[in-house]
Amino acid sequence: MLEYLTFGLVLQLLVNGILFGTMYGIAAIGLSLIYGTMRIIFLAHGAIIVFFAYICYWLFTLLHIDPYLSLILVIPASLLLGSGFYAGLFKEAAALEDKNISLLIAVGLMYLVEQLMLVVWKANPRSISTIYTAIVFRPLGINIPFTRLIALVMAVLSAFGVLFFLKKTLIGTAVRAASEDMESATLMGINPHWVNVVAFAIGIGLGGIAGVGLATVYSFDPGYGFIFAIKALIALAFGGMGNVFGALLGGILLGLLESLSSFFIGAGWADAITYGVFLLVLTFRPQGLFGGST
Amino acid sequence: MENHLLEMKGADVFYGDAQAVWDVSLYVDEGTIVALLGANGAGKTTLLKTISGIIHPKKGEILFSKRSLAHLRPQEVVDIGISHVPEGRRLFSQLTVLDNLRLGAYPPRARSRFAQSLERAYSLFPVLEARTGQKAGSLSGGEQQMLAIARALMAHPDLLMLDEPSLGLSPIFVRTIFELIKTLNNQKVTILLVEQNIHQALKIAHQAYVLKTGKITMNGSGDELLANQEIQKAYIGERWRNT
Repeated sequence: MLEYLTFGLVLQLLVNGILFGTMYGIAAIGLSLIYGTMRIIFLAHGAIIVFFAYICYWLFTLLHIDPYLSLILVIPASLLLGSGFYAGLFKEAAALEDKNISLLIAVGLMYLVEQLMLVVWKANPRSISTIYTAIVFRPLGINIPFTRLIALVMAVLSAFGVLFFLKKTLIGTAVRAASEDMESATLMGINPHWVNVVAFAIGIGLGGIAGVGLATVYSFDPGYGFIFAIKALIALAFGGMGNVFGALLGGILLGLLESLSSFFIGAGWADAITYGVFLLVLTFRPQGLFGGST
Repeated sequence: MENHLLEMKGADVFYGDAQAVWDVSLYVDEGTIVALLGANGAGKTTLLKTISGIIHPKKGEILFSKRSLAHLRPQEVVDIGISHVPEGRRLFSQLTVLDNLRLGAYPPRARSRFAQSLERAYSLFPVLEARTGQKAGSLSGGEQQMLAIARALMAHPDLLMLDEPSLGLSPIFVRTIFELIKTLNNQKVTILLVEQNIHQALKIAHQAYVLKTGKITMNGSGDELLANQEIQKAYIGERWRNT
């Protein structure tokens, strides 16, 4: 196999890894925000992302709305849904000492959304095919599909948008403060429900963007959500819990790991290796690989 | 009837099933420094947490400017003029000095006065201005305590509650903190002070309460308690006798 190994091929593997990885990264940023203030792993995140992929699919097939154009509907809808989830499901549980209750609600929500998607959209995979789905750029002999490039751009822009919000606005600063010490934040006059709502809204908002990215790039089915949530969780662990920029980098690292290991060791091994590295990181670098935090 | 700024009447406070405070009554008059003394676990921190709304009393009443605090949440208490500098400072260590101060001015009552409050904070603590962009966690212990107090002052409190502000600081910083408390008091900030540095606390306090296992066992003016034999034996000890 190694005689086929050229510079161009390695470059292609790296590019594939990065293109895949930013999708994990953007999902991981959502998990990171929710974990920050709520102290739970929002396991339903993957199912929500797939749900928005189906919404994008429906808007395209039924109403002929371009997937990228659908963002102007999907983003507000997902922000609203995120706030709704918090107000309807998590608000009471968030005040409890035992975070397992919130975690169980997230698990229940994950399966509920998954089952509802099975009822509405059935189990067979769906994908979106537009006029630009087949467009592939070939700089330096590497294949870069147009839709994956756009997904990358969306992920990077969202990550910087969230970072800007967290660093430059007062409410964003309040979210960071609450992520570090909720009780001390309330002594500053910060309402815990308000920062939780903001974290949920933005987290699910990113899920909406990721859903559109997913729908344009891959085929998906209702069961894909759980795998996606686990991948995002791994990206989160790589980047360090609660570190927004680290989450994006962690996603890219995960994408690279999958791309390289499935080529060099074998596709069957890629996931096993990923989970092995996940455990190693949690055991020896529980603070994440990139140090510091945001 | 006198007009106390803060008045607690017959408060019982529980942590879960365990009672931490028994039938405590105390008051703080406007413009004074009141010290809350006692051994570890006597309930001093619990009392401050009860006033700031982190815990709610099971029985009894807390009035601030005649308004009941018993059902207010911490974010509401700070907005009516009570700032609480918790034990261990509880700064946002990953945030910059400036961001910590910005959050100090988060309550609606303080937001519009931010620029003016920041100026006051920097003139009280010039060292913080020099460190404005640094992460709070990178400051020294004494600087962190100054930041914690400066952050609380950003909310323009009428009552400032300080929980063990001198804990873990070098003697020079301890002196600085006590001088600062007097300075703030001269600027019309009423102070409720929890301290283990009992001698120094009594020297600046107008009024003091001694707590023992959740009950008030003694109260009086700072000078009265300073002269009290029992206090001297129990808390101050030999080395302070002649200072």
